[in-house]
Amino acid sequence: MATLGELERAVMERLWAAEGPVAATTLRGELAERGVALTTVHTVLSRLEHKGFVVHDEGRPRRFRPRATRADHAAELMHEVLGQAGDRQAVLARFVGSVNADEARLLRELLSGADDTPGD
Amino acid sequence: MLPATAVSLAVLAVLLAWPVPALLARARWPRRDPLVALVCWQSIGLAGGLSMIGALLVHGLSPWGHSLPEAVRSVLTLHPAADRVRGDHWVALTLAGVLAAELLGVLVLSWVRTGRTRRRHRELLELVVQPSAELPDTRLLEHPAPVAFCIPGARPLLVLSSGMVAELDGDQLAAVVAHERAHLREHHHLLLLPFVAWEAALPVLPAAARAHAGVRELVEMRADDVALASLSGTAPRRTLARAIVAAAGGAGGVEVPSGALAVTGSATGARVVRLLEPPRHLPAAARWAALLSAGLLLLLPTALLLLPAL
Repeated sequence: MATLGELERAVMERLWAAEGPVAATTLRGELAERGVALTTVHTVLSRLEHKGFVVHDEGRPRRFRPRATRADHAAELMHEVLGQAGDRQAVLARFVGSVNADEARLLRELLSGADDTPGD
Repeated sequence: MLPATAVSLAVLAVLLAWPVPALLARARWPRRDPLVALVCWQSIGLAGGLSMIGALLVHGLSPWGHSLPEAVRSVLTLHPAADRVRGDHWVALTLAGVLAAELLGVLVLSWVRTGRTRRRHRELLELVVQPSAELPDTRLLEHPAPVAFCIPGARPLLVLSSGMVAELDGDQLAAVVAHERAHLREHHHLLLLPFVAWEAALPVLPAAARAHAGVRELVEMRADDVALASLSGTAPRRTLARAIVAAAGGAGGVEVPSGALAVTGSATGARVVRLLEPPRHLPAAARWAALLSAGLLLLLPTALLLLPAL
């Protein structure tokens, strides 16, 4: 049994790959190998809608499409998550903050200088 | 006449608002033992807030009694003030209320705001990251820039980009993951929170910005130390230093305004220098002296507030 998170990812994959809006029954068919019930597909879709990733039209049956393309989603992600606004620093702990070209060159020189000396 | 307690608290507040943080920020010893220095910073922050608000409160309530417990008791039992209540008493009480509300309010606000942003980031990420096959608690993000980060919280998320995986060898990746795990395990985001809030609440105080930067750097060094302890291999220090330089060298992909760079840049450099030329450990005596001072620093305003008047 897949977790809701995995199902959300699987549904988004299908929606991003699809040519146009997709109905819930079609999605269930595509996720058949996971043994997912139609109610589960609807649960996943409404969660995704609530998070603002999916919108539906007013057709019968309703058809769903992603709010942003996969590329736009990736761009928004990088901008929001790894942008340099001050409050971003408080939100996540990044291994190395952004460094400008001079600083990066300085760091490499530091490292190669240390590599010349034997031992650690 | 001002009560001696209020004067002592005011002196302590002034010391903790400027000279003490300035000294600690400039000191060289914190990088020799980041954990002890972090304890000192927490103590300075807490004692500073306590003495600032306490001094105003003790002075404002002095007509009702010469110590805080005494004054609070007579106010609560609706006793009239023993001395005449002057304008400066009301000003002090108002300031104490405003300051307490602002410090606590900003703390709660940053807590809520960062919590909301973290949730949003997690939602955005969860749609595209894949669980890593080799590292169980790690997710992989398809992106050419070499980045690694963790989002702390009840459901933490540790993310490595594919660019990072491509750039580093196995030992270096293990070092990066160990560093991020250390942040999560030791709840470094909670150590930072009061300083983020303090800087937002008191933007006119240069010590607040300095304290925030100092704590941020120490948290990174502490995570480096924890990572080193868990690493195998012949030269863990150099492995971690190489990983930092590789991650810094290829930080492209995200446009960065130059204004924000100086701070993070020099902090990264300090980390690499510290790894390549490790400073001597702090002697045990110095370590205990620092911890003891941190404890006394916190005890002093507490005692001044709770003990009967001098």
